[in-house]
Amino acid sequence: MSVSALKCSSDWLGSQILAALLEVDSARDYLSVVKGETDYTRQFTRLMEAYSRPMRRLCAIYADRAADREDLFQDIFLAVWRALPAFRGDASVRTWLYRIAHNVALTWRARDRRQQFRERPLENELDAGAEMELRRLALKRAVATLPLGDRTLILLWLEGLSAAEIEEVTGVRAATVAVRLSRIRKALQPNEVMP
Amino acid sequence: MSDDAFPLRDLWMSDTPVDEKEVTSAVGHVLEKDRAARTRDRQVRLFGVLAVALLIPLLVWCAAYGVTPLVRGAYALMAVGCAVLIATEWVYLEWSRQALPGPADARSQLQKTAFMLARQIRLLKTAPLWSSPVFIGVGLIAVWLYQERTHTAAFALCAVALTAWIAAGLRASSTCAKLNDQRLEMEGLLNELQ
Repeated sequence: MSVSALKCSSDWLGSQILAALLEVDSARDYLSVVKGETDYTRQFTRLMEAYSRPMRRLCAIYADRAADREDLFQDIFLAVWRALPAFRGDASVRTWLYRIAHNVALTWRARDRRQQFRERPLENELDAGAEMELRRLALKRAVATLPLGDRTLILLWLEGLSAAEIEEVTGVRAATVAVRLSRIRKALQPNEVMP
Repeated sequence: MSDDAFPLRDLWMSDTPVDEKEVTSAVGHVLEKDRAARTRDRQVRLFGVLAVALLIPLLVWCAAYGVTPLVRGAYALMAVGCAVLIATEWVYLEWSRQALPGPADARSQLQKTAFMLARQIRLLKTAPLWSSPVFIGVGLIAVWLYQERTHTAAFALCAVALTAWIAAGLRASSTCAKLNDQRLEMEGLLNELQ
């Protein structure tokens, strides 16, 4: 047996034992994470650069306090980091990422029911002056007061996803999405979200 | 989509861009959080492995060479109880891991998480039952102490075992209530989404 073959089998055996003992997702994932760590880190950083802004917006709708928003933001990207080795590119990166983000956010909401009874301190964020800023915050407040199901749909639409993509993310049929979005949007027309 | 709806999108996306330094520090925080979680998981698993490797053989040895049949029976029960406890803990952690949010669509994810939570709740409800061999084993040792040694030691050991059993039951029941709240919340979300 050659040296490289021996090295391969010892790697494989080591990974199997580690995976069995330490409950890493699977031996293959463990190896790929360890060996390709720098690649994954680079991919992950790129994803974060591209999606930090939409994810911050999403967190602002699901969590009221700044500390909670930061926690949720980190939880979302933690889930993304863990799911990254298994991503094979079957879906677009965008819908894949939004699926994870909304799943984390919805689970987070279910876990911390107190969120629902907190005051919404959005007024504190108002930056005096800019009218656009005032309108944006009013829209944010209007979205944040919607029922959770509607909120999920409108958030995805506001981020530029089509009804078909929203179906991929939420599992709600595209036709239903379109009907519900039309109703939600009527309630959120620009004149309605003026402070 | 109606045309007048698109200003909403423009308005929505008109927030300030994220600073590059902030992204770098966020990447660091996430990776650090991941490392900490993996280390914690590893410690729990290693504790289980060590218990299997050290505690159970010791209890089995005691069950084989105990001074009386009563003591041997007690240690045998404790060995079985420990094995059941460790196996149950692994199963529980595995279900917790499977319930973590992943890249499935929201409806499937909520259904899966609610299903896993229901399983965990059922397991926790029976906690006093599957942890009973350990406590009954300790109780039998207390009986042996009562017969062969001092009554005080027997009562003290019995009290400790009973308190631990009740505490374990109460803890399981409180966790169960918390998980049930989460499950109901998940089902509520699922209904809202449909």
